[in-house]
Amino acid sequence: MVDALREVRRILRPRGILVDARPDSRVVAYAEHGTATGTYRQVGVIATSHEELVNDRSSDDAVATAVTSGWFRSRGAGRFWHRVLFEDRPMLQRYLDDHARFVHRVRWMVDPATRRRWDDDPWAIRRAVRHEQFERL
Amino acid sequence: MVTSTSAVGRLLPAISSLLRPPPAGELREYGGVALVRRKRVIDVGCGDGRMALGCAPYASEVVGVDPDPSAIRLARAKARQLGAANVKFKVGVAQELPFADGYFDVVILSWTL
Repeated sequence: MVDALREVRRILRPRGILVDARPDSRVVAYAEHGTATGTYRQVGVIATSHEELVNDRSSDDAVATAVTSGWFRSRGAGRFWHRVLFEDRPMLQRYLDDHARFVHRVRWMVDPATRRRWDDDPWAIRRAVRHEQFERL
Repeated sequence: MVTSTSAVGRLLPAISSLLRPPPAGELREYGGVALVRRKRVIDVGCGDGRMALGCAPYASEVVGVDPDPSAIRLARAKARQLGAANVKFKVGVAQELPFADGYFDVVILSWTL
């Protein structure tokens, strides 16, 4: 990853801008149940998988190396929330089963009977995305 | 607060860009279109062109690079469909970008590192 950042610096003009955006594994994601009024209610917590936490730390280390090497300086950082919608709960579970980023099991805040009753309702995963802008030095 | 939404499953096919924020919303989070307006922009790890095509209406030139040839094929097809003449897509890796030193004003690594 440091090699990629070195190459990014090479093709950027001096004072050009690098945007780094990625899922924010420092905070958990949420499973949300869609209500009849179209709003979503948080009913479960979804952790990031161990492998992805390790990958994210490697990315952080690479960025830190690029900054301490004097290639870039930070111009500011932020975070936003992104909601991925699913037609029903089995679809949400299939997404968790198929994707490496999250652990496959939700830590539920509602009982199994309630979840089964909501199976055919709309569901969502709400997750954080972090972003930082850097100026090429 | 949720600032962007996308849908998968039977609502939309589950290709990667549809699991990510819409480009307009993502650009807004970065401070708006001023970031890319009349700039030379490269989206490294562009996938099927989500962010590159989102920048195209504002930028002078956009390049998307991704190691996955099938994603690049899809991105090119989308660009043709949109008539985005200022966008090019190339198969390549972030460690070896075939461009001159200092060519770009903005580099976007969106869900890439």
